Amino acid sequence: MIEFNRVTKTYHGVRALDEVSFSVRPGTVTGFLGPNGAGKSTALRVLAGLARPTSGSATVLGRPYTELERPGFDVGTLLDAGAHHPGRTGREVLTLGALLLGLPRSRVEEVLELVGLTVKESRRVVGGYSLGMRQRLGIGHALLGRPRALLLDEPANGLDPQGIQWMRTLLRGLAGEGCAVLLSSHLLYEVEQVADHIVMIGRGRVLADGTVAELGAGRGLERTFLDLTAEADRSLA
Amino acid sequence: MSTPQTLARQVPFRRLVWVETRKLFDTRSGLVMTGILVAAAVALVVGRAATVGPPRLFTLAGTAAVALGVLLPVLGIITVTGEWSHRTALTTFALEPRRARVLAAKCLPALAAAVLGSLLAVLVAVPATALSASVLHVEPTWEVAPRALAGWIVVMVLQTAQGLALGLLLLNAPAAIVVCLAGPMLWSFVAAAGDGGQAVAEWLDLNRTTGVLMSGELTGDGVARLVTSVLVWVVIPMATGVARVVRSDLH
Repeated sequence: MIEFNRVTKTYHGVRALDEVSFSVRPGTVTGFLGPNGAGKSTALRVLAGLARPTSGSATVLGRPYTELERPGFDVGTLLDAGAHHPGRTGREVLTLGALLLGLPRSRVEEVLELVGLTVKESRRVVGGYSLGMRQRLGIGHALLGRPRALLLDEPANGLDPQGIQWMRTLLRGLAGEGCAVLLSSHLLYEVEQVADHIVMIGRGRVLADGTVAELGAGRGLERTFLDLTAEADRSLA
Repeated sequence: MSTPQTLARQVPFRRLVWVETRKLFDTRSGLVMTGILVAAAVALVVGRAATVGPPRLFTLAGTAAVALGVLLPVLGIITVTGEWSHRTALTTFALEPRRARVLAAKCLPALAAAVLGSLLAVLVAVPATALSASVLHVEPTWEVAPRALAGWIVVMVLQTAQGLALGLLLLNAPAAIVVCLAGPMLWSFVAAAGDGGQAVAEWLDLNRTTGVLMSGELTGDGVARLVTSVLVWVVIPMATGVARVVRSDLH
């Protein structure tokens, strides 16, 4: 469903992504795990057609994102929960998306309910939202077109424990319906909670790719993660 | 998937235009901006009618240009730069990756606002002219040369287009607004700086070159100057800005 094929991205001579290859299968939640600055956001932006790879290719449903006719129905994206006009209401943000996709207004109500924003909250401007509420709104926006794949960049940031629990249930449910979910995080704990598959990235390179059970075998997931990222740092230092 | 189906499934352009139009009015700042634009245009027309006589319809309507000429370009700038100041370009281009279509959809409502704003000024000028004439007990002048009216509206559209072009080029609202609004002042300095400065201003100052549109005297020389200044201030910055937005990586 989602494929990275030897994606390299260079910014001013610095390799933000170095031959990144992995795939996300339908019906799975894949955690994209790495320390800050590892290249997670860059990879997701390349996948969403917002940045061009220097070489290699990233595809969704077998095509580059920019060649999807109406990507809103194929891939839901949440790339920056803070990226909203502060003077727009949450409801309006969803309404604009629904209008663009040609969805009925009732879809806005459904999505609000799905992400747990009340009618009252939806009528407030986003400038007054907490980060957790913005994440819920962003996830709702991504889900408007009932997409078959989801890209979420640090969706758990700012969510309280109940929020993380909620997100876990939601994403597991979507994966259960066949959705391919890719979510990035720098916190192992969050990824462990939701993902069944983990891709670890450090210094722009894929360090490990496997199921939670596989990567956790022996040393344990946290030890594996810390050892691998430290190794990546050393090899480039 | 075959090509005809591909085309049919794309987000229709009119829907993009509708969404971008809605974005102009769905925030408090957007509504305030529109309110100021309408109020300033109306106030200027009415104010002029109350203070100057005998009333001429076109003169009264034309007074609104003082406000429209400043506020319409600002509206254009805010429309095209908003997605960058609030980082919403990520969301917008994720739903429609063909960025040039989105930019075109942003420009159209601003240009339409220029036409509507001009027509509003004429509309308000009608009762203002009648009222002023009856208070002053003089004959009002209703005649408006159609070419002059059309020319005036084109000038408003061009000024708005300049705002859009500079906004797209700089992708920074304050910078674009300063360049746009400081322009007329700078040109008066340039024009005052001897014959050379005068000659440059005659070819590049949009306020001067568009004069032929209002007077309706479109001679070869005037058209050449108009085209040159529109190329420099509208076409080139817009083309450069669009090309950059379409190619650049978003952060």
